[in-house]
Amino acid sequence: MSLTKVSLAEVVKKQYIYKLHAYTQVFLSLIILQVIAILFSLNGSGMMGSGGGMIDLEVHYYSADIVVAFTMLWGFITAILITTKAYRNDDFILVTNRISSNLSNVLFLLTASLIGGITANLSSFLLKIIISIFKSDFYIDSPADIVTVMDLFVGSGATVLYIFLFSALGYLVGILVQLNRVFAVVLPVVFVGGLILDGMRGDAGVIAAVFKFFFAESSFTLFLIKGICTLVLLFLAAFGLSNRMEVKP
Amino acid sequence: MSVIECKGLTKAFGGTKALDNFSCKIEGNTITGLIGRNGAGKTTLLKIIAGYLQQTTGEITVFSERPFNDLTVSANVIFVHDQLNLPTALNLKEILDVMASFYQNWDRELAQRLFDYFSLHPMQYYNGLSKGMKSTFNMIVGLAARTPLTLFDEPTTGMDAAVRKDFYRALLKDYIAYPRTIILSSHHLDEIEDLLEDILLMQRGQMLLHMSVTDLKEWAVGLEGRTVAVKEWTKNREVIFSKNGGLDQTYVVVRNDFTAAELQKVKLAGIKTLPVSSSDLCVYLTSKTKGGIDDVFNKG
Repeated sequence: MSLTKVSLAEVVKKQYIYKLHAYTQVFLSLIILQVIAILFSLNGSGMMGSGGGMIDLEVHYYSADIVVAFTMLWGFITAILITTKAYRNDDFILVTNRISSNLSNVLFLLTASLIGGITANLSSFLLKIIISIFKSDFYIDSPADIVTVMDLFVGSGATVLYIFLFSALGYLVGILVQLNRVFAVVLPVVFVGGLILDGMRGDAGVIAAVFKFFFAESSFTLFLIKGICTLVLLFLAAFGLSNRMEVKP
Repeated sequence: MSVIECKGLTKAFGGTKALDNFSCKIEGNTITGLIGRNGAGKTTLLKIIAGYLQQTTGEITVFSERPFNDLTVSANVIFVHDQLNLPTALNLKEILDVMASFYQNWDRELAQRLFDYFSLHPMQYYNGLSKGMKSTFNMIVGLAARTPLTLFDEPTTGMDAAVRKDFYRALLKDYIAYPRTIILSSHHLDEIEDLLEDILLMQRGQMLLHMSVTDLKEWAVGLEGRTVAVKEWTKNREVIFSKNGGLDQTYVVVRNDFTAAELQKVKLAGIKTLPVSSSDLCVYLTSKTKGGIDDVFNKG
């Protein structure tokens, strides 16, 4: 029987298509999470009240921030999920090596981030509709909130990049945990411990600085460069660590 | 051309060596039975061949490539074992479709016919199958993939006798129609003996024997007769197994290096010469003590 030759690109493409199909549960969880997040958002993200005499004024602010935050967490957890044995070992009954498996995972996470980011962004419209129908007597779309197509693109793009960053981080964390179970304990302790330590000292520490580095960037181009560089570093680390990993049941 | 070549292959897990300086060559288009006791290193060897594990030291080539992280090896090898991870979100029909898209030689028709024959339901999920049904489905995957190298690690786990028989027959028929290299590890050597061309016997991570089944059948001979007479004839020979029966009778298995004239003399001495079945021989060869489990109970 003659040998069949396959190219890496071909295998990655097949695996990507297979993963979109086989990992559909991931998208089901996205829908559920975003619905819950929208319900939470109905509480409003801020409130201002004033009154005098016959007038009582209350201004509620609403935003889809909670949806975006939830979707980021979803990206993080999804990435960890697909590094677990149940998912990773699935590849090995098919044609694969570790590089193709990793590459198709990255493509899958990118797709998931795209879908998550765009739906999270669009959910703000759903929120506006729900509020204008059910919640308030007057609905004011603030001038800053009048969305142009350009805004929508930049907003969605930034959201997608944030979610993808979180999934890249999740992917690296997942690989580390797969390499050694110790990381499943060490990483959360370091993270939460770091936050507590920062809180006790009362000044912004490393974790806060990292958040500031990404979330407080006002220039979109700069954020794009920072984001993409970080993505490359995170995935390269994950690839390097997982390339010698053995398949164990 | 050898499909698989191993030289000094060692794989250590912690302190124990699952494979210890293992060397062998497996030729193309043969069915080889991988036989050995529990923990002999059969699964480890298959996993290294499939590129799942990486050897600690030594060398291995499969189709002249190192199997670990090699796409060509992965595309041309299918490794079927009882802890197979198949996508849980897909039903059986969808799994077969996915496999078909990955393996170029995949035979859809064969897969479908076997699928119907074993009355599997296309909408079922793999995790919902019983142990025997899982093995049956794995077997379908292994056969239909038609990869140049097919590895079955204890494929009959949980199958009932009828399905086991069907499997052996299906394997043989498909092998004759599409010759390829097949390695089959199993505990039921007596069942697969007729199927195999070669036998590779492993013990404690090393190769004990690698020969054709027909040679193995001639390899040893059983002598049965009065203890004194048997002892006389087996004195300077390699005793593989011995058992004391009642009434001064002894059964001894030795290497069959008797000449025809010697065999004649043995018969004249009142000793019966008996053929030793390959599966018994494998058990004798790999047992740690000469008398087997009986030794544990014979304290005196």
